[in-house]
Amino acid sequence: MFLFIGFTGCFLSGQEIPPPEDSVPVQDLEEVVVTATRTLRQLSSVPLPVTLISKKQLQKTGVMRLDEILNEQTGIITVADESGFNGIQVQGIASDYVMILIDGVPLVGRSAGNFDLSRLAVGNIQQVEIVKGPSSSLYGSDALGGVVNIITEVPTDSTLSGEVSYRFASFNTHDANINIRKKQKKWGYSFFANTLYSDGYDLRPDLRGQTVSPFSNYTINAQWFHNLSEQWKLFASGRYYQQQQEAELFVNDALLEGDSDIKEYNAHIRLDQHFKTKWNLHYEFYHTSYRASEVLESPISPDPFSSSEFDQNLWRPELRATYTIKPGHVLTVGAGYNHENLDRTFFDDKVTFNSQYAYGQYDFHPWKQVNLILGARFDNHSEYRSQFSPKASANYNIGPSIALKASVGYGFKAPDFRQLYFDFTNSAVGYTVLGYNVAVEKVQELDSQGQLTDILFELSELQEPLRAESSVGYNLGAAFNQGRLRLNLNFFRNDFKNLIDTRAIARRTNGQNVFSYANFDRIYTTGLELDANFRMLKTLTLSGGYQLLYAKDKEKKVALERGEVFARDPRTLQTVALDNSDYFGLPNRSRHTANLKLFYDLPQWNFSTNLRVNYRSKYGLFDGNGNGMIDNYDTTFVDGHFLANLTLNKTFWDRYTLQLGANNILDYKDEENIPGLAGLQLFTKINIQF
Amino acid sequence: MKSSIPFFMVLFCAFTLTSCNDDDEGPVLIAVESKTASNIPAPQTGGPPTTEEIGGAFTKFSFETGGVTTSDTDWDIAFRGTRIAVNGGTATGTADEPVRNGNAGVSIETGTFADITDAEGLTFTQDADGAYAITPVSDQGWYNYNPQVNVVSAIPGKVLVFRTHDNKYAKVEILSYYKDAPAEPDGFVNESRFYTFNYVYNPNEGQTALQ
Repeated sequence: MFLFIGFTGCFLSGQEIPPPEDSVPVQDLEEVVVTATRTLRQLSSVPLPVTLISKKQLQKTGVMRLDEILNEQTGIITVADESGFNGIQVQGIASDYVMILIDGVPLVGRSAGNFDLSRLAVGNIQQVEIVKGPSSSLYGSDALGGVVNIITEVPTDSTLSGEVSYRFASFNTHDANINIRKKQKKWGYSFFANTLYSDGYDLRPDLRGQTVSPFSNYTINAQWFHNLSEQWKLFASGRYYQQQQEAELFVNDALLEGDSDIKEYNAHIRLDQHFKTKWNLHYEFYHTSYRASEVLESPISPDPFSSSEFDQNLWRPELRATYTIKPGHVLTVGAGYNHENLDRTFFDDKVTFNSQYAYGQYDFHPWKQVNLILGARFDNHSEYRSQFSPKASANYNIGPSIALKASVGYGFKAPDFRQLYFDFTNSAVGYTVLGYNVAVEKVQELDSQGQLTDILFELSELQEPLRAESSVGYNLGAAFNQGRLRLNLNFFRNDFKNLIDTRAIARRTNGQNVFSYANFDRIYTTGLELDANFRMLKTLTLSGGYQLLYAKDKEKKVALERGEVFARDPRTLQTVALDNSDYFGLPNRSRHTANLKLFYDLPQWNFSTNLRVNYRSKYGLFDGNGNGMIDNYDTTFVDGHFLANLTLNKTFWDRYTLQLGANNILDYKDEENIPGLAGLQLFTKINIQF
Repeated sequence: MKSSIPFFMVLFCAFTLTSCNDDDEGPVLIAVESKTASNIPAPQTGGPPTTEEIGGAFTKFSFETGGVTTSDTDWDIAFRGTRIAVNGGTATGTADEPVRNGNAGVSIETGTFADITDAEGLTFTQDADGAYAITPVSDQGWYNYNPQVNVVSAIPGKVLVFRTHDNKYAKVEILSYYKDAPAEPDGFVNESRFYTFNYVYNPNEGQTALQ
């Protein structure tokens, strides 16, 4: 089992995954992943915590968007921000620090750091790979908490094949997909289109406006595969996504209406060169663009009340090479260039970042039972200090069914455009937020206009460039694989420093503050993950997962140890001193999350069903009692809750599948705290395969 | 607005007064007063959400009388929005500020209200040009502001120890910035700019004991 299979796999394509045989039971599949090492590796042999979501799981559960399925994985939850964007939290690390890739290249377009995964349709996904823990040694900035890589399907059949589907669900939600693919001897293609419309829903009829406004979106993805010669292979992919959502806002009883639009595209070209020798080369060029705009208008005024624009672009050429010294000893090297720009409301000008990077990784077996992967990456950036990101990981096969895995790695996140160039004044409240690089100049400007009463810092202190946020992550785990049982246990610890947050740097004459960004927070997340998968019967698979998590701010712990933190009992108004046992931790972190899934197949009836139950224990949303931390005296907790989803599948005449399902069958709702969670939703879907 | 003196406190004061009178040694001391001031209004004009400069008269408070005062001289602290002025030092330079003509000052201490027992040895800061002695910034003075829910909450464990305009001492623990001090104020519903605070006042000049 413990063989290196990367070599033969990866010259076919840097990313493509051979499709599994449909009839083979899940455990026996050669589950392979590419994200952990950038070469094809067998999942069980990778010395890192990796979660794999197969196409089968996507199909059987009947999910539409990526956030839905990720929320059902152990140690991964989706967290909605104020604008309803569903980002993911991995090992207690927020969405800002998790990189999202599609076929190995990054997607951009985040709202205040949060990547909205409901943007991604799942209809042409072959598998989703989630690597937990810092992965900057391969992927650079943003990969502190991990990497989510979406692998799209590759045509394998010489006859035209594919599927069309239509799904109807609660809230007048319509989702339609078409997916076609074909492979000839020399070339192949695939085409995918999705459209989704929903009326949205309203959890608070007592308040004006809907909780989620009506929206519609389209996704198109076309891919071309061409074997130019024995040596050369071409891959080209173009993806386009567009969303339109109604926007409304009530200001002093006046209704403002408008539209909120997103347009995104990606163009990805890769040439793979395979030499008869031990070299493989990949020449890649990637461009992506993300534009969001929102306009709000008053029906009685000709001028728009507000309008905002966000236009981000990335260009990235990259060259990658793998050299197989001998089987089981592979050297991977790569170098690339990032050119990135952003033009948005609240920026003076379009802002450009340039960075160059190079990385190397040596994946080898010093002994038969031991696999070591040593890697490092260097990023040189135009706006912040260059970064060196090393990583080491090891897998030790104790016996045929038990392996120990350990890894330690460095991750970083470059200060983003907003943290450096923002110039925003809230017109309703009157405060100002300035990006770090423009803060000094803007403060001087405000001061000369007589708008400041006070400057709280020596401006010379703000000349030193803002540092990248960084983390060191440790993972130590064991995997057990025998017969029908698969167990994975992993302890993790992530230490973050130089986290960027806002602080007041000056005071305005209107009494409000001028904020800017600074490096000051130090946090950690630590805990354990346990995953179990048991095929009880040929027809019945049971799986479960659990994560224990502690996510805390180190400075707050120091303050607690010094006895400097107090809380006032909200009823008696008595003040009490707090200690570390009263500190609950960072917002939006549940101490316990768990899932239990049951997949039942009745092949003789062409029927299958699955029930997935997810639990997360209580969590705090924000500090409610003025001491700057979430503690046991806070009254702002969201209660622990269960979410359960049920799907039934019945296939007729081999090609027609009828799906019935219910999401959130317990009808759990928390209107005030979780506006992104609708109650019970029913759906039905027809899928025709051809 | 009202200042309330709990009934047991009256009893307590009466008792200590009696015992003091029985004491033949040394000067007669007046008992330390422990009270709650409720719903002291702190209106202001301008400021957010308007773009106008903050203005309006401060509400002046005297520890001696235990209530709001209109006196231009016999006041110790004064409130306007989240700003607290002390009657000592000079005006900070914002509109409509009262003239400082006393010797008041403040020292912000950390601890429970009961922990702070004496003003001995503390350093008192007075208002100055461009700077209130109590910094009116979230997390730096007496309050924290949470923009998510639009709530101003008094930082628990911050005890404001004052020297009054006439060199007496008092300690203050602010409880609420909202009318009738709701346990969980709703920043979009509850009326703000109403101070409720506990205070202990030592009416004996130069005596620093605060319990």
